[in-house]
Amino acid sequence: MKRNEYDVIIVGGGITGAGTARDCAMRGLKVLLIERHDIATGATGRNHGLLHSGARYAVTDQESANECIRENMILRRIASHCVDETDGFFITLPEDDLNYQAKFVESCLAAGINAEIVDPKEALRMEPAMNPDIIGAVKVPDGSVDPFRLCAANMVDAKLHGAQVLLYTEVTGFIKDGDRVVGVKTYNHQTHKSGQYYAHITVNAAGIWGQHIAELAGVKIGMFPAKGALLIFAHRVNGIVINRCRKPANADILVPGDTVCIIGTTSTKIPFEECDGVRVTPEEVNLLVEEGAKLAPALASTRILRAYAGVRPLVSADNDPSGRNISRGIVCLDHETRDGVKGFVSITGGKLMTYRLMAEMATDLVCRKLSVDKACETADTPLPGAGVKSFREVAEKIWENPTTVQKAAAGRLGMGAARLKGADTMDQSLICECEEVSVGEINSAIERLDVSGLTDLRRRTRVGMGTCQGELCGCRAAGLLAKAHGCTERAREDLKDFMTERWKGMYPIGWGDALREAEYTQWVYKHVLGV
Amino acid sequence: MKFDTVIIGGGLAGLTAGICLQEAGQKVAIVSAGQNAMYFFSGNFESVGPARERIAALFAAAGVRTNAADGLQLMPMGSFRPASLTLEDVTVYPEEHIAEKALIVNFTGFHDFYGTFIAEALEKAGTACRIRFVRLAEMEHLRTSPSEMRSVNIARLMDEHWEKVVADIRVLHKDEDLIILPQVFGLKDASVLDKIRTALPARVSFVGTMPPSVPGIRTQMLLRHRFELLGGMFLMGDTVTSGALHEGVVSSITTRNLDTARLFADHFILASGGYFSKGLATSPTKVYEPLFGLDIDYPENRSDWYREDFFQDQPYMDFGVKTDDRLHPLKDGEPVKNLFAIGSVLGNTRKEEYGTAAGLAIRSAFAAVDIIKGGNL
Repeated sequence: MKRNEYDVIIVGGGITGAGTARDCAMRGLKVLLIERHDIATGATGRNHGLLHSGARYAVTDQESANECIRENMILRRIASHCVDETDGFFITLPEDDLNYQAKFVESCLAAGINAEIVDPKEALRMEPAMNPDIIGAVKVPDGSVDPFRLCAANMVDAKLHGAQVLLYTEVTGFIKDGDRVVGVKTYNHQTHKSGQYYAHITVNAAGIWGQHIAELAGVKIGMFPAKGALLIFAHRVNGIVINRCRKPANADILVPGDTVCIIGTTSTKIPFEECDGVRVTPEEVNLLVEEGAKLAPALASTRILRAYAGVRPLVSADNDPSGRNISRGIVCLDHETRDGVKGFVSITGGKLMTYRLMAEMATDLVCRKLSVDKACETADTPLPGAGVKSFREVAEKIWENPTTVQKAAAGRLGMGAARLKGADTMDQSLICECEEVSVGEINSAIERLDVSGLTDLRRRTRVGMGTCQGELCGCRAAGLLAKAHGCTERAREDLKDFMTERWKGMYPIGWGDALREAEYTQWVYKHVLGV
Repeated sequence: MKFDTVIIGGGLAGLTAGICLQEAGQKVAIVSAGQNAMYFFSGNFESVGPARERIAALFAAAGVRTNAADGLQLMPMGSFRPASLTLEDVTVYPEEHIAEKALIVNFTGFHDFYGTFIAEALEKAGTACRIRFVRLAEMEHLRTSPSEMRSVNIARLMDEHWEKVVADIRVLHKDEDLIILPQVFGLKDASVLDKIRTALPARVSFVGTMPPSVPGIRTQMLLRHRFELLGGMFLMGDTVTSGALHEGVVSSITTRNLDTARLFADHFILASGGYFSKGLATSPTKVYEPLFGLDIDYPENRSDWYREDFFQDQPYMDFGVKTDDRLHPLKDGEPVKNLFAIGSVLGNTRKEEYGTAAGLAIRSAFAAVDIIKGGNL
């Protein structure tokens, strides 16, 4: 096989693409993954980070619910360092119909979800942040998952199995031989060079942008872009996921994650052209705060860190204007049988929770087409960094680091934190004090994880995700990047982009302490640093 | 307790007003919540306008030496900014070509000073740069905690050990005509700056770090000392909890530490700062002045408070307490006759007369003081 020839090319560096690259590589295929931005920039990095139990879909969509709970249990095993096993409650408020609870529990049990009715008083004792007026509570095996970490871990493992990854490379067209897709044309946004890569099969895993990729291949997929807005609060108000026990609606899930908690979402149909650069409106912010406070009253007075929005990659099935009643089910399309285009496959629909199953389905199809007879092993093979049974195990490996850094690094890297072993005091110095990210962890990410800028670094290390939203650590990390890449001009421009990106999530919630922080940051960058 | 003037806020604006009024023989109290904008002062008094000599004289009397010269300040990320009055730490250059060769010295593991960015900018202007690092045994204990290697902690050590650093730099120095150091010297005593300049074989430029600002903290301490030496009362770490405002006149205020005891005065000065200092406050629907509920103009639609581009001037920074032409703030459209608003609490509402940032703080303080001293309110 020539240098630019592969068994399979995967388009899209979100969780689906990363998972598919891993699965294909584990089955011995020569894999190339192409992503136009960085990893996890689409819906992968723009959701709740909820490890769904599937309970939310139990009443309306048994199939999705069942997929969820199975994948939920798998992720706990293979991605333990990305998962926080918090459990979840579905609460009934006085204005909700308590009769729904029975139907809900019955549907959960039918889907294989261990749902257990808990006395409201007992539930409040377990999760004191909950609205004290609740009249019902059901406990389910929800949790939280760090999607950035999960995506990076899949990407790293794919590469360990021989896959190649091209970031900041956009697929601009397909190379066809008659009715067969035989390769892709690309454009690299960093080097500004065009390229051509060949493969027997190309997998479209571009999420909502898959509609466009399909069009390039001469195939039509009707996507249904539904924007969902979310808010990050500066404290971990709740320790257990809180959901509303009713038909899915706006702002009815509150997920604790790391040191913060996240409320969401809204659901608004948007035109396909607006999928890039979605913004959160003041009305959405108001709605999220108002509804969120019904789940946990403390949210009304808790500082908000930022607002963000993602676009669900739903495949349109009917004319429902809200997008909520469309199945979250997985859509795996063989365009040879569907459209007469050979060598082209699309994997879409689904959700973060079912990425592994989606990858398995896509890879099974690819393997059938290539006559490769090897079973999927991703459900049983832990991801790099997983397998941590206790914090102590990690701590023993990096005992020379301060405890706080040990804890943060163990959480982010799992057993991979052992890489920080032998770090001297220089490497232990903190760059990001909010998220406890050390010099060693940043340098390690720059070396190993395809970091080309500060925003990439944030997705891999959480630099700048904390209370100060990058005001202090942005500059420090820019200094390290300038050193690593030997280019200060680029680092300076990069710092500007990073702060602009941070601000994008801050101004929709720009009041109170968030505005105080913003004023301080703007003062520091303009008057003190002279950026 | 009865004073001639009570000042709410102990930052640059409040201290300037306090010093001037004590100098004029008044009995003044300043209520200061603690940290203020001086902790992130770049050392450059922006927009001093015609007040340059008056500011320099005020600071000189407090033991703060300044450079009154028009030129350029070298910024931490390598850019240059116009300056006409700076603290003595900051060297003002006539042009961007500031030397033939520069030696940039940083402390090993100090991530709040950006030698590489400075070198890149200087090299564009024709200055050859070399970056070197020093580390002292006396600093090593800072590394045991991962967040201790910060400007003020280093500066504390440098007050004592600056000579050792100078000795190391003398070894590193070759033929450079300029040595650039981070602003971590002279936290307590600015005379260290001169001593370093004398002891090194080339011109020395101290360039800013990430906050906190060592020159800013020193200046704040010297100004406070001057105010207290003149007999002023500085209530440190206290917060004003309420103000008695009736029929357009403030009669007294209460503070957290003084509990029920009231501070009475003929004049009150509101120097409580901007958003960060809590002189201005915001909720999802309004911008307000939290102590007296003074008038502020702002657009009703929250989206109009911001611009998407982080690096553009932001509309919310313009909002501030409305005043009449004698700096009396308005409440329900009527001026509060014995209250003055100065500094960042004004936002950019009086930009034309008093400038912005440090210039605004000092010049609006001068204006309020002159009216009070003039005696005709």
